[in-house]
Amino acid sequence: MKKFLKLAVLLGFITTIMSGCAVNRATGSVDPSANLTAMKAMYVKKLPADDGGTNELIADKLRSKGVTVTTGTEPAPGNVDAVVTYIDKWMWDITMYMLELTITIRDPKNDFPMATGNSFHTSLTRLSPKEMVNEVVDNIYKGAK
Amino acid sequence: MVRTFARCSPLLAAGILALTLTGCSSPANRAAMTPQDVVVSKHHPYSLSVQTGGGANTGAMDSSNISDADFKAAIEDAVGQSKLFKSVVQGSGGDYELIVRVTTLSKPIFGATFTVEMETAWSLTKLSDRSVAMRKSVKSSGTATMGDAFAAVTRLRLAVEAAARDNISQGLKAVAEQNL
Repeated sequence: MKKFLKLAVLLGFITTIMSGCAVNRATGSVDPSANLTAMKAMYVKKLPADDGGTNELIADKLRSKGVTVTTGTEPAPGNVDAVVTYIDKWMWDITMYMLELTITIRDPKNDFPMATGNSFHTSLTRLSPKEMVNEVVDNIYKGAK
Repeated sequence: MVRTFARCSPLLAAGILALTLTGCSSPANRAAMTPQDVVVSKHHPYSLSVQTGGGANTGAMDSSNISDADFKAAIEDAVGQSKLFKSVVQGSGGDYELIVRVTTLSKPIFGATFTVEMETAWSLTKLSDRSVAMRKSVKSSGTATMGDAFAAVTRLRLAVEAAARDNISQGLKAVAEQNL
C-alpha cells in the first residue's frame, strides 16, 4: 500500500511536470466576408454541461461591445445576426482552472464560422474565466472590419 | 545493483507511464495530412489559389498544432492529386480562391486513446467578380490508439494528422459538389 501511494505521488508529480508546460496562446481570426461591427444581435448557445456560467460571461462581454445578447440552451431565435458557440476546457492543479477557451461566432443560417478566437493558458500563467473570455472576445474584435 | 534497481523501479514505471500518457511538441506533418484516395464527383476546369489561416506553430513545450503553411501545402497536394481543379496557382492569379481557416482544434491532454476534434471554415470565391461560390463549416475527428504509437507525443500528432486528413477530404468533396 505504501509503495502504491509512493508510485501514485511520483506519477502525479511527473505527469504535472510533463503536461503542465507553461504555454500561452491567444489567437483570433475573422472571415474576410464577415462584418462583425454590423452584427447587433447575438445568441450565446449555452453548453448543457456548463455550470460555471461561461455563457453569461461571454454574453456580458459582448454586451460591452454594444451587442444585444440573449443566451440559453434552446435553439437560437430567428431574429439574431449571429450564434455564438464555445468550448471550454478545464484542468485541475491545486484548484480547477480554465485551460483553454474557444469562442466561435457563426452565421445562424448555415452554421458557418464567421469569426473565432482561442486562448490557452497553462497553470503557471492561468487566467480567471472572466479574463479568458475578455481575452478571446477582444482578440476576435481586433480582427474585425 | 538489484536493490538499487528495485528502489528506482517505481520512479522508472511512473516516468514511463507519464511519458506514455502525456504529450508535448511535435507538429503535424504536411504529407501525413494529405488524404491519398479522395474521389471527387467533378473536376473543375479552372485554376485555384489556396489560403489558410487559424493554424499555429508548435512550440517546444506545446502540443501538436497545424501550421498554416503545412495545412496549405496539404490542401494543395490533395487538390492536385484528386484533379479537383485544372491547376493550383500561388498568389492571387487563379480563377477561384479557396480560403480555409482552422476554427477549432480540440486536443486531449492525457490518455491512452487520443481523439482530436477539428472544425474548419471553407470559403470558395470566384475572383473575377468576388462572388462566393461556397461557404461551409467542415467538422472532422481523428483518433490514435496505443497500437498506433506508444509515445504520447507521436500518438497526439497522429490523431491531429488524421483529423486534418478527414477534414481536407470532406472539404474537397464539398467543393466538388458545387456547380462553378
